[in-house]
Amino acid sequence: MASRTKIEPDQKLPSVTKAITTDSILQFESCGILDRENIHNNPALAAKRLGTTYTLASGRMSITFAAEIMRKFFGPEVFNHTGTVNLKFLRPVKAGDTISVSGAVSGSEEIDGKTRVSVNLFCDNQDGNRTAVGIGTAVVE
Amino acid sequence: MADTELKIFDYDKAQIGEELGSYEYTLTQKMLDDFRTSVDDPEAPFPTLGVKHDATAFAMVYDDPIGTVNAGNEVEFFNPPVVGKKVHVTGRIADKYLRRDKPYIVIEATAVDEDGRLLEKLSTYQLKKPDELGKKWHPEQK
Repeated sequence: MASRTKIEPDQKLPSVTKAITTDSILQFESCGILDRENIHNNPALAAKRLGTTYTLASGRMSITFAAEIMRKFFGPEVFNHTGTVNLKFLRPVKAGDTISVSGAVSGSEEIDGKTRVSVNLFCDNQDGNRTAVGIGTAVVE
Repeated sequence: MADTELKIFDYDKAQIGEELGSYEYTLTQKMLDDFRTSVDDPEAPFPTLGVKHDATAFAMVYDDPIGTVNAGNEVEFFNPPVVGKKVHVTGRIADKYLRRDKPYIVIEATAVDEDGRLLEKLSTYQLKKPDELGKKWHPEQK
């Protein structure tokens, strides 16, 4: 866990790299409670709605990856109870992609005797193209 | 909820603050295991992200033949859900706006478990003109 005294501006978070496969996309979709077709699990629907020749990985997969590096940096006892992740999606993520998720501390502010730490978050694919960008936060004692 | 009760989504008629579906489900070990496998993280604590609370709330009310693209997500984590506990979800349309002449809505869902523990708040920025992104991603195809 990153304690308040250890967190420094520009400090890097532990990065993760995720291989996106058709199976992982479909398995993520299977976690839903509605059995419905969408641009993530139906190539024909993705083609009709987006003009793509492939299905897309849900943006919530990237949210989960970003949450993972936040959790590993701040510790689950902090991040799972005070954390936020806010991502803007810039490019599609599809099967065959490898997504690297990284982050660095961007600032902090005092709130009610605690410190809210902000982190810049980045998702990049195997070609070096940015697929998502955003901010995460967590509150440390 | 029966599909026959679904309304066809009409962007012009959508109202900020409009309530979407509210529903309850029990989190199973299989849901947690499947979620963790899908994101290659054996300790991922929020399988609720795979349930897509806000999109599910929307889909319980609306049929959207045009479809949507997720332009962004905001999520706040409060407490990890517990396997075997019921999760109660309420959803609403939190915002609606045009940006560069493209129509967006923001859908939002709040999840609480059967013990009243706040679990997660999730918002999605939905572009309600998905073919626009298709053109951007594949200009040679348009």
